[in-house]
Amino acid sequence: MHAAMPSACRRFSTNPETFENKVETMNKAKINAKSVALALLALTGAGSINLASAEELLVGVQIPLTGPLARVGMGTQEGIRVAAEVFNKTNGKHTIKLITVDDESAPAKAVAAVEKLASQNVVAITGGYASNNISPASDAAGKLGLAYVTSGGVDDGLVKAGRKNFFRINNTQGYQKALVGLLTDLNVKSISIIYSTKDATHGLAADVEKTLKAKGVKVAMHAFDPLITDFKPILNKVKLRDKSEFIAMVGYENEYVGILRAARVLKPNVKGIAGVWSLATPKMQADFPDLMPNVYGTAVLPFPVQFSTPEGKTFAEGYKKLLNKDPDYLGQFGYVQSMLLFEAIARAADAGTLKKGGVIEEMRKTDRQTLIGRVQFDANGDNKNFTQRMGQHQGKKVELVWPKEAATAKPVYPGVPW
Amino acid sequence: MDLILQAVYSGLLQGGSYALIALGLALVFGAMKVINLAHGELVLLAAYIAYTVESKLGWNPLMAIPVAVIIVTITSALLYFLVGQVKTHREINSLTLTFGVGVILTNLVLMIWSADVRTTSSPWMQEAFVLGELYSMRSEVLFFIVSIVLIVALWWWLSRSWYGRAVRAVSSNRDAAKLMGINPGRTELVSFIVAGLLAAFAGVALFSYGVITPAYGSVLTVKAFIITVLAGLGSIPGVLIGAILLGVAESLTITLFSSALQELAGMGLFLLVLFVMPNGLFGAARRRG
Repeated sequence: MHAAMPSACRRFSTNPETFENKVETMNKAKINAKSVALALLALTGAGSINLASAEELLVGVQIPLTGPLARVGMGTQEGIRVAAEVFNKTNGKHTIKLITVDDESAPAKAVAAVEKLASQNVVAITGGYASNNISPASDAAGKLGLAYVTSGGVDDGLVKAGRKNFFRINNTQGYQKALVGLLTDLNVKSISIIYSTKDATHGLAADVEKTLKAKGVKVAMHAFDPLITDFKPILNKVKLRDKSEFIAMVGYENEYVGILRAARVLKPNVKGIAGVWSLATPKMQADFPDLMPNVYGTAVLPFPVQFSTPEGKTFAEGYKKLLNKDPDYLGQFGYVQSMLLFEAIARAADAGTLKKGGVIEEMRKTDRQTLIGRVQFDANGDNKNFTQRMGQHQGKKVELVWPKEAATAKPVYPGVPW
Repeated sequence: MDLILQAVYSGLLQGGSYALIALGLALVFGAMKVINLAHGELVLLAAYIAYTVESKLGWNPLMAIPVAVIIVTITSALLYFLVGQVKTHREINSLTLTFGVGVILTNLVLMIWSADVRTTSSPWMQEAFVLGELYSMRSEVLFFIVSIVLIVALWWWLSRSWYGRAVRAVSSNRDAAKLMGINPGRTELVSFIVAGLLAAFAGVALFSYGVITPAYGSVLTVKAFIITVLAGLGSIPGVLIGAILLGVAESLTITLFSSALQELAGMGLFLLVLFVMPNGLFGAARRRG
């Protein structure tokens, strides 16, 4: 009868329960409520920094997974995931847990993503793509005291702004050196540079122009709006007015495809075509086999991939296991930037400086050989050793053709896709 | 001179492509005063269907047209049913609704087809079509002709067929059309279905001569909207003229100045026409007559 009585009625019951018993019952109820609340917290993940094991460290990934940069964002994210997987298997003491937020390829969303990650107690941020997104996002991370590492922004403004928390493993100079090096070795006398008006591409094209002009090469510049869909009017200018012997493209995948298609239709009398990032890749070869023959692009590794170092082999195996495919350059960059960050975090955790700016300090001390060569950061967070190589689509392979000491084949020159 | 001629020729073909993309938007805008901000995504959906047909079955993208027509018209009809739920301030509220649908469609495309860059691998479509000293892709010429045929067919349908005249009647005065025995709901549904059909053709065309990515839909919508306003509310011949004007203006800007100014030139033309002719090139004043 009593058990069935509603609690409101129970308060007025005549049950001869002592005051002490009531207090004890209430205390037990409080303890139970605490336990339930803690269990709920643990289940929902809230307060994870306190409840997680001391060695589990949260790292934020701010990356474009939707919007115009989704393709490159997803490629970089794959490398980040592999880095976490490899780190967790090889580092016996600490465990990295990634929290990913899509920045939708937009600067405001990138800032919001960093703030959201900070509210979830991450100890540092990896990711970012496109200088115009990285700039405000790394600023936001700086204000929150978080280290920010990327491979997606080559605009020099990023390192000239004096951010103390910013690190990048690649830069314009590395791409410029490779492109100019190849053109010099091929003894190119005149060139048309077709480039996107975006910050990074515009900056790189201007640097290449300056360097080539200093070497006495005749340079014609053709800026294009990123919204352009028909490149024929530009290619026609190259064909009829510039009459250059070489075309250099500074843009992104969709733009390379548009330019190469227009070139195939108009067939300008050039001896070669080169681009920079995202071009000399197995993916481009697989997706556009008719457009790629003899086209040059920056490349870290040849294809089929040949890893000679133990880390390279571990990376390739991890990539295959986790994603069931061969690694590409985006994954490689994502892996390197994140692995360096995870190692810095581990060192800061060991030194007990994780919450005292230790990650930034440890990142600055970085000096080691990686999949993209030796990485050391200067005072502005730029990798001072970064140099790219040039690859060329030859048959179904991507051969390294520059510099000579890293070359896997000789360049096919003259050589165009048609 | 060769440069200018090639620029005009390229602009003409580009204009045909723009017209094909804008037709569906202009039809719905003219019929319902609804700016379908998901129109670009419908075009993109058709383009990805063409990609699937080509990459999975190894067929020419043209073979994708029936499949694209079915899927895109069904999607367009579903979109109409959603827009039909908007009972108050339809012009404004439908903007928000169709924008939301556009975002959903973009993400759907991203999930199904990934963010990779896609284009046709058909050699026939990509080969050069040479007309004297003028160069283009075969696919561009083919779809320019398709575009003209569809514009003529749409114009005929709107001016001669019963449903076409019903669409114009509903567009002119919904209540009066109802009194004349026209079912406005059904008529609007038909205009959405026809818009879907046009979007299907535009998508297959886009895949055949262009490069597609999931985020490209909003760019198409903006371009289509500019042409629709440039043409004048619901004017079908105006869409063709406006699109060709825009295409040629952009192409000449690239040739004579810089490609970096291309979008600026388009916007300049848009503002100039609206300043001189507030109803667009073939706006309401003419059609009332």
